Amino acid sequence: MNRFWEKYIILLTLLFFFQGSYCAAEDRLSPLKITGPKVYELYMVIIRDPDAQVLAAEKGDIDVLGDIIRPVDVERLSRNPDLDLSLAQAFHGFFLGFNLRKSPWNMEELRQAAWLAIPREKIVRDLFSGYAAPLSTFLPPASPYAEKDIPLSGFDPVKAREILKNAGWKWDSEGILIPPGTEKSLEKMKLLSPTAQVAPTTAELASRSVESLNDIGIPLELDPMDFATMISRLNEHDFDTYVLAWSMTRDPDSLFAFYHSSMNIKGGYNIPGINDPELDKALEELRWAPDERSAREASSLSQKLLDKKVPAIPIYSRYSIASVNRRWKNIIKSRVSTADNTWSLLSMEPVKGEMVPLHWCLSDEPRSLNPFSAGSAYDWQVMGTIYDGLLAVDPFTLEDIPWLAEEWKIETVTRGDGEKTRLYFRLREDVVWQDGKPFTAEDVKSTILFLRDNMIPRYLDNVRDVIEIAIPDNYSIEITMKGVSYWYLHNIGGLPILPEHIIRNVKDWQNWQPSKLENPVDKTLTQLVGTGPFVFREYRIGEYVRFTRNEKFWLLEQ
Amino acid sequence: MKNYWIKRIASAFLVLGVVLILNFLLFRMMPGDPVSSIIDPRFSPEAKEQLRKIYGLDLSLSRQFILYAKQMITFRFGISFLTQRPIWEELSSRIPNTVALLGSALILSAIIGTLLGIKAALNRGTVIEKIVLWGGAVSFSFPSFFVQLILLMCFGYLFPIFPLRGTISIPPPTGAMAAVADYIWHMSLPVISLVLLGFGGWALYVRNLMVKVLGEDFILMAKAKGLPSHNIIWGHAFRTILPPVITIFLLALPGIVSGAVITETVFSLHGVGRFLLESVTGHDYPAAGAAFYLLALLTIMSNLIADLAYGFVDPRVRFERRGKR
Repeated sequence: MNRFWEKYIILLTLLFFFQGSYCAAEDRLSPLKITGPKVYELYMVIIRDPDAQVLAAEKGDIDVLGDIIRPVDVERLSRNPDLDLSLAQAFHGFFLGFNLRKSPWNMEELRQAAWLAIPREKIVRDLFSGYAAPLSTFLPPASPYAEKDIPLSGFDPVKAREILKNAGWKWDSEGILIPPGTEKSLEKMKLLSPTAQVAPTTAELASRSVESLNDIGIPLELDPMDFATMISRLNEHDFDTYVLAWSMTRDPDSLFAFYHSSMNIKGGYNIPGINDPELDKALEELRWAPDERSAREASSLSQKLLDKKVPAIPIYSRYSIASVNRRWKNIIKSRVSTADNTWSLLSMEPVKGEMVPLHWCLSDEPRSLNPFSAGSAYDWQVMGTIYDGLLAVDPFTLEDIPWLAEEWKIETVTRGDGEKTRLYFRLREDVVWQDGKPFTAEDVKSTILFLRDNMIPRYLDNVRDVIEIAIPDNYSIEITMKGVSYWYLHNIGGLPILPEHIIRNVKDWQNWQPSKLENPVDKTLTQLVGTGPFVFREYRIGEYVRFTRNEKFWLLEQ
Repeated sequence: MKNYWIKRIASAFLVLGVVLILNFLLFRMMPGDPVSSIIDPRFSPEAKEQLRKIYGLDLSLSRQFILYAKQMITFRFGISFLTQRPIWEELSSRIPNTVALLGSALILSAIIGTLLGIKAALNRGTVIEKIVLWGGAVSFSFPSFFVQLILLMCFGYLFPIFPLRGTISIPPPTGAMAAVADYIWHMSLPVISLVLLGFGGWALYVRNLMVKVLGEDFILMAKAKGLPSHNIIWGHAFRTILPPVITIFLLALPGIVSGAVITETVFSLHGVGRFLLESVTGHDYPAAGAAFYLLALLTIMSNLIADLAYGFVDPRVRFERRGKR
């Protein structure tokens, strides 16, 4: 008991400390005022083992360590006076889902009762020592669209039983539920989960959820399995219930993919198989919202409907935790962004004044340095320093802020064949590619057309609705999209923009290895060049990726 | 003799053919495929279908098999689904580290284990034997991740004699000699950890073989003839146990290419083990197929070499084969 309180006090102190530290940072630095990068040389050092990462951070071999997951590591690192930890709400969401295609989970009251029967706060506190937040919305808490006012959120097994009783459910002599209108008790059902060897906390969480649901008479048992097998079963709709975590974004349009009836296909993301006309309508309004205000309204309505219909139970959302060595200053961190972000990369400088290389930990090998096929977070940690998008995201408010585009406009236009969305971007005129060529609207157009015409899977959903691109002048671009949707702005604004003079020679995008090809303009560089703050220099497979500061970067202090 | 080798080589090819077919079928029988395991709401079912086409997974199974068999037989393994890099390039960038790590660990474990095993057999009932038996059992039974993390903690952090990660310092040293020294320094702790974990098995095995042989009549005869003990141990007893020792050693050879996932992870080494694991779990059919095909080839070759080596070290095998002819 004492140990429990001891842990809890440590956590509360940490949270207080984190809160204080990011508030202070928010007062100090605004992303629009940042100049940089300050560091001349950046090493992204590959260290896979979490224990080795912690030792390297403590020893000072690495300066920045992100993705700290294990509570024991957080506690250890937080005790080290040389390290500054930051904690932020993440875009992660963990859900317990039901198969609504079959009985008994097609009955709404059973799902509502199940929600009330799971003590999420206790489970999360026990399993994560507080380094995760119980989730009561269908969007991650960091999302600016997450609905705050959710009625069905607390643990209340008495109310759960009451809901079932009022709907005509009964219990047999062994306490198993009997559905209304029948005399037959529910049969044993399974909850699919990864094995404890692969995902110990998930397996434990699943086990505790099973116990809680058993307590109100739902005869559920755990069915741990290999993750690929589990995904295959979910894709084939061969399950009763499951637990699964999702990584989402700041935008709420993922709700459409998760719960719209058109996605209720084998291999589709509507795994629960909810097929509800009222919800469909709200999700369609969300997906094709013409502006931000409509998007907010539709998002709110969709979440309220999901809260009522409960196709899945939100369980928890992990915090992002990162550590930075205190020999560095001007770290950018906020409620929704830990210190290991690109803004920190721009502003960080040594406390002692004399410039030294920055060592940034990569928790896994970047699998591909081809921007067309790269998919892992580690690939994009590397390429995110090289390539830029038209818009950036404010690390404090998560709002769009100017980046390669200094102004933008989104409007709905009517043409002969219906309504379309027109995006207008005014580009900065002081941006040059790392090899010295000027950055113009032609680069943006070529990038979008290359991605669309080659039907590159990773970008297909972003660009397939592009029907026309016009370039009124070298620094303006107008993109017309097939339908009406506010999210087109983020689909296009978030694309990495590639140099036209490089991609025009790419014949086989799949096998393109820009980091190994000589740059046609500047022989000292490779073809992995962007407009970003750092220039790629060397990739020693399995060891590190080395960058130097982009001396032509538009935010560099003159 | 000639017929014997023709039969052995023919059966080796047969095994390779079976491995080729099994490699194709087993990976495809696993639930899911490289595309269905992508669970990202920003990756629509249409985008997944497009990826499936690019990977050639929309082709019939027979067509996929023909393409796969052609790739394996011509040793042109194609592109990895996961990394989009040529598989040869992936393997060749990893094999040197893996061979350096596991090869040196195997040789050192075998030498140290053999010497200790012989020492223990010659000193039965003494403290030396007890130390070797206990040491062997302990080394053999500890989980590798535990030992390696302890070593990393002690000699990488508390008493930082060795580096915490990788095979090269950051920034890398200049000059060939300095680079080699830096590489050896980085590889020392992983190799030491594997030797610590591996010598015990060898020591126990060799000790048991030697104890049995030392009780044989021909050893008594050699002693009775007054042969020097050095001659008896190495010329008679050790030579007698050589065939099984060589067999074990040669059968362990493919293992030095297949990698050590845990060691590679703990010490952040770029090796074959993790590549194999990720290829299998990520349904990277071309990469996994190629890697297992090469491993099978290596195992078959090691078996053939072991057969050949038997003839050299054990005259009885030579005579038997001649007799059969």
